[in-house]
Amino acid sequence: MSSLVKCPHCGSRPREEFTVRGEVATPRPVAGADESIWFDHVYLRDNPRGQHREYWHHSGGCRRWLVLDRNTVTHETSNVVDASTLKAEGRA
Amino acid sequence: MTSFRMDGGTLIDRDDVREFSFNGEKLRGFGGDTVASALLANGRQLVGRSFKYHRPRGILTAGAAEPNALLTIGRDGRRDPNTRATMAELFDGLEARSQNCWPNVDFDIGAMNGLLGPLLGAGFYYKTFMWPAAFWEKVYEPLIRKAAGLGRASYDPDPGYYEKCWAHCDVLVIGSGPAGLAAALTAGRAGARVIIADEGAQLGGGMLAEGSMIGGKPADAVLADMVGELHAMPNVEIKKRTTVFGAYDDQVFAAVERVQKHLAETAINPNRAMERLWRIVAKQVILATGAEERPIVFGGNDRPGVMTAGAMRTYLNAFGVAPGKRVALFANNNQAYQTALDLEASGIEVAAIIDPRKCPDIDYDGKARLIAGAMVRDTAGRKVIKSIAVRHDDGRDEVIAVDALAVSGGYSPIVHLACHRGAKPVWSDEHVGFLPPENCDGMVPAGAVAGNAGIASCFVAGAKAAVSVLGVLGLTGEPASLPGLEQVDDIAQGTVAIWSVPPSKGKAFVDYQNDVTAGDINLAMREGYDHVELAKRYTTNGMATDQGKTSNVNAIGILAQNKGVSPGEIGTTTFRPFYTPVSFGALVGASKGFEFQPVRKSPLHGWAARNGAKFVETGLWYRSSWFPKDGETFWRDSVDREVRNVRENVGICDVSTLGKIEIFGADAAEFLNRVYCNAFLKLPVGKARYGIMLREDGLVYDDGTTSCLAENHYFMTTTTALAAGVLTHLEFCAQVLWPELDVRLASATDQWAQMAVAGPKARDVLAKIIDDDISNEAFPFLAAREVSMFGGRLTGRLFRISFSGELAYEIAVPAGYGESVADAIMVAGKEFDIAPYGTEALGVMRIEKGHVTHAEINGTVTPADLGMGRMVSVTKDDFIGRVMNRREGLLDPMRPALVGIKPKSPEDKFATGSHILKVGDEVSLANDQGYVTSMCYSPSLGHAIGLALVKGGPERYGEEVVIWNGLAGTSITGILCNPAFVDPENEKLHA
Amino acid sequence: MRDFLLNNVSPFPAKPDANGHAAVHIAPVSAGFVIHVLGNGAPDESGLTKVLGDIAPDLGGGLRSPSPGQWFWVGDCDISQGRFAEIAGHMPAEFALSDQTHGRVRIMLSGAKVRDVLIKGTMVDLADDVFAVGASAMTMIGHIGAMITRTDVECFEIMVLRSFAESLWHELDQMAAEFNQPHGI
Repeated sequence: MSSLVKCPHCGSRPREEFTVRGEVATPRPVAGADESIWFDHVYLRDNPRGQHREYWHHSGGCRRWLVLDRNTVTHETSNVVDASTLKAEGRA
Repeated sequence: MTSFRMDGGTLIDRDDVREFSFNGEKLRGFGGDTVASALLANGRQLVGRSFKYHRPRGILTAGAAEPNALLTIGRDGRRDPNTRATMAELFDGLEARSQNCWPNVDFDIGAMNGLLGPLLGAGFYYKTFMWPAAFWEKVYEPLIRKAAGLGRASYDPDPGYYEKCWAHCDVLVIGSGPAGLAAALTAGRAGARVIIADEGAQLGGGMLAEGSMIGGKPADAVLADMVGELHAMPNVEIKKRTTVFGAYDDQVFAAVERVQKHLAETAINPNRAMERLWRIVAKQVILATGAEERPIVFGGNDRPGVMTAGAMRTYLNAFGVAPGKRVALFANNNQAYQTALDLEASGIEVAAIIDPRKCPDIDYDGKARLIAGAMVRDTAGRKVIKSIAVRHDDGRDEVIAVDALAVSGGYSPIVHLACHRGAKPVWSDEHVGFLPPENCDGMVPAGAVAGNAGIASCFVAGAKAAVSVLGVLGLTGEPASLPGLEQVDDIAQGTVAIWSVPPSKGKAFVDYQNDVTAGDINLAMREGYDHVELAKRYTTNGMATDQGKTSNVNAIGILAQNKGVSPGEIGTTTFRPFYTPVSFGALVGASKGFEFQPVRKSPLHGWAARNGAKFVETGLWYRSSWFPKDGETFWRDSVDREVRNVRENVGICDVSTLGKIEIFGADAAEFLNRVYCNAFLKLPVGKARYGIMLREDGLVYDDGTTSCLAENHYFMTTTTALAAGVLTHLEFCAQVLWPELDVRLASATDQWAQMAVAGPKARDVLAKIIDDDISNEAFPFLAAREVSMFGGRLTGRLFRISFSGELAYEIAVPAGYGESVADAIMVAGKEFDIAPYGTEALGVMRIEKGHVTHAEINGTVTPADLGMGRMVSVTKDDFIGRVMNRREGLLDPMRPALVGIKPKSPEDKFATGSHILKVGDEVSLANDQGYVTSMCYSPSLGHAIGLALVKGGPERYGEEVVIWNGLAGTSITGILCNPAFVDPENEKLHA
Repeated sequence: MRDFLLNNVSPFPAKPDANGHAAVHIAPVSAGFVIHVLGNGAPDESGLTKVLGDIAPDLGGGLRSPSPGQWFWVGDCDISQGRFAEIAGHMPAEFALSDQTHGRVRIMLSGAKVRDVLIKGTMVDLADDVFAVGASAMTMIGHIGAMITRTDVECFEIMVLRSFAESLWHELDQMAAEFNQPHGI
């Protein structure tokens, strides 16, 4: 039927308002980085059983990019933050 | 003697006589009746035939679990097959029909299947229909489909309106029996926002059938007081006829409310939903769903007239319907004795109570003969029970004449909702049933579902559960004081497990709806399918529309007994939504037909319609595709004319659906420079530039133009298809990749009506409405700026860009003025023979010009593949896709690249998707040279033309190739060429 | 052509407001302005309020924030393109303005049953104490994105992209029909 995601800006909203992009991959490499680092960034993805850190876009609400943990076993989502905070932590 | 109506009945209104028909026969019931109670009141105990053996079947229960009495109710588009007669409320004019019988329910040819019983046992599908394989489609499947199956769905559209809603509460109480009511009162009095939902037409659950006194007051008066108080509370929302059918993630509960299903057709408000699907967001939940009484598995336990003890009591007390004149009770627990007492109090003879317990610890003071340590082994009677065969403790058999039999094999808590999210229920030897899981994740079970028995003890449990959830919510509440609490003692049910009785001649059914017998389960075990999930699938036990509500625990019990383990070790199968069947109408809601999805209309829609446009759906948009004139009967007539007119005179086309994004900020230019593969840093104010966006993997994502309107202010256009995608992509870049840049994005697609004015005379037309100088010198190719229009009355944005290849402009004006401006352009262009053109003509002209769309930008191409390799910057440090675009494989000169293609003989045609082969080559994947991506008839050239992605691309201009259409089985000879069929030198653009 | 009659066409169907005894009124807002204000980082609504008060004290209007650092400045009087350009020109660099008066259109929904209509479309909890007068939310009504603002106890403003306006109107009309035509049409 639905599940809810806690947008840090809008509060609890139904899943239909969001668009999933996928796993938070390795940070985008600097321009001159080695090609293999780029390959990891563009193509390498985990497929874990359990916690999965993902990019979600609140496309039907504030249109902010969010990052959250989704448990692939229980579907529970948690630790939702605005994705703009990632870069300062070296994760985007 | 059959069942009949007598005095009493707390739910029925005898002044409200309702006529209905059953299998064409006119019958009468009362307001408050269910179809089941009305049929029993009319002595109709045989109501249907069983699924596999076509055995006569009656009404087993009085509620949601009913496996037998499934009827088709209503007709035409309002026909609902497989409706449980026990849940359907009687209304005037209701039409009900039996299912699964031919020619009629009394005489059913299919009943001969009963003779084939040995062939139709467990796993018969797997064994019987193995071979020959060719028989499956032609013989077996039609045969099975004809013989099996239940009601038939209607082919007519349902005229009813359906909708979906959201609701929110602090406390959701599911079930309105004594526990649910006490919980709702406790939470309501504490000021919590409460929703109490019940699948029944009235609140009360088990209290509705309670004939006795509660704390010295009649049960129905106590109930009326409680319900009255709930109704008076503004913070309590009561949802009757509402089944909570699923527990989903994040405390979202789905429920279906049958808003008008209980009304006669004449009383239905067409503007009100027939059913409403609720998504209820609940902070805390009290599960007060009660317990299901189990039948006992013995020979002939499916004969009409056999009924669960609780159901018999409900028909008696709530509907004033007696099951017969001489009734027996077969029960393994104390609670069922209440049925015998109530029957006797109503003057019905209870011939015997057969209790398998040797020394039942029960204080029974009724008149019935109590046969302890005994079991019912078999029943007799043709379409209704006539007698039972009792096996005494000492092995002696006795036949007792009865016209109804009440059965009670114990109580199965209705734990479904507590298990939907994956938790498993827990076996309790004390309760002889599966209780809800210990950690129910924000859900507190109370009442019979938690093993409580007796109304007072359910009151206490419900109130206590409410106090505990109030605590979690930070509210304080006192348990509701209710009548009868002074005499609370948890009634010991004393249930003794009894999973099957000694074998007899008659079939002993476990699953009534799927015709699974104890023998089938034993057979499945012998053949190795003894795991509960395997046994379910091998026998189909629990797989019918009732999902085994009356059968699963008995099946588990038989498996456990045979293996000599506890039912807890066998465990249950997985509980999944939906708890009971939900109509497709409710799930679809209002989104059907025209409302299936929203429509997006261009601000020029009305203008296009007035000019005779034919519209085409492009995503959600309606776009004008061509504008037929008088005498044009075929779409190509219009499209060819529109193209010629643009090439020779001038045309106007609605391009409002293109995505438009306003980009602001001190770093806007730097941002554009990073998202486009070509340079944007030095785009001057007043200029537009064509740009290509790559994906990070180096392939082309989208193309479009971006104009610099002012310092730190840009206006981007995207393709219609990727308008949303590009904005989302840019937001990702701005928010996640480069949050340090000052760049701000605003979608402006809907703000502007935008039209292309194209053709040699385009300037002449626009000059009549634009105040500024738009001469070639003042406003050259790729100029872009705000212009004054209509003597300063309107400001528009003018762009000199061209998709058609002609001298062309795009003019954007505030959307509300779009129609007027388009009208003005038509008037201004009259002297120049202006005509509107649609997306078809636009598509033809872009192919003639060799411009690409997403037919070519198909996720496999690089800019170089499209002949635009030189646009990719080699000087920029960084942009999206820069590194991956330089991968070795993407630089291969033999990659498929864009070419034009035309037939060698001008009269030949070819199709998009056709593959290209070298002349003389065999058709094979290895020989494949590429494929046609776009194709049209070119009015300018007078023959078919196309674009293709072909190995080696431009190196092969002039080469003769084979254009092979594998679907049509045809091939023609084509010639590869420059994709710019028209004006390859771009003279028209710059005119 | 200078005198060509220019009409500002409404995107809503030419349908009269619901009849006199309607429990839910649905009415398009034909006048006024919607200006998208894009901030450059930290949401500074009080700063914006002050700036707007200084630059255009006559316009009034309210701010509705669809996203952190972004606002829709919504007012009920008409402003010309020239006036918009003048205001935009006076804004400090920290606030950029995009005129959305034609791109985002408004519908007023009012009446005793107005919440019963909206729960058919949106998941946002509109209870009095959760979504008080003045509150707004960017959300979905059915399949259509919209901004809901509570302007009074029984009155909500729905702001929607122009291209969806006709569909949303149709859906709201259908959602309200059971209250407005209780006995059928």
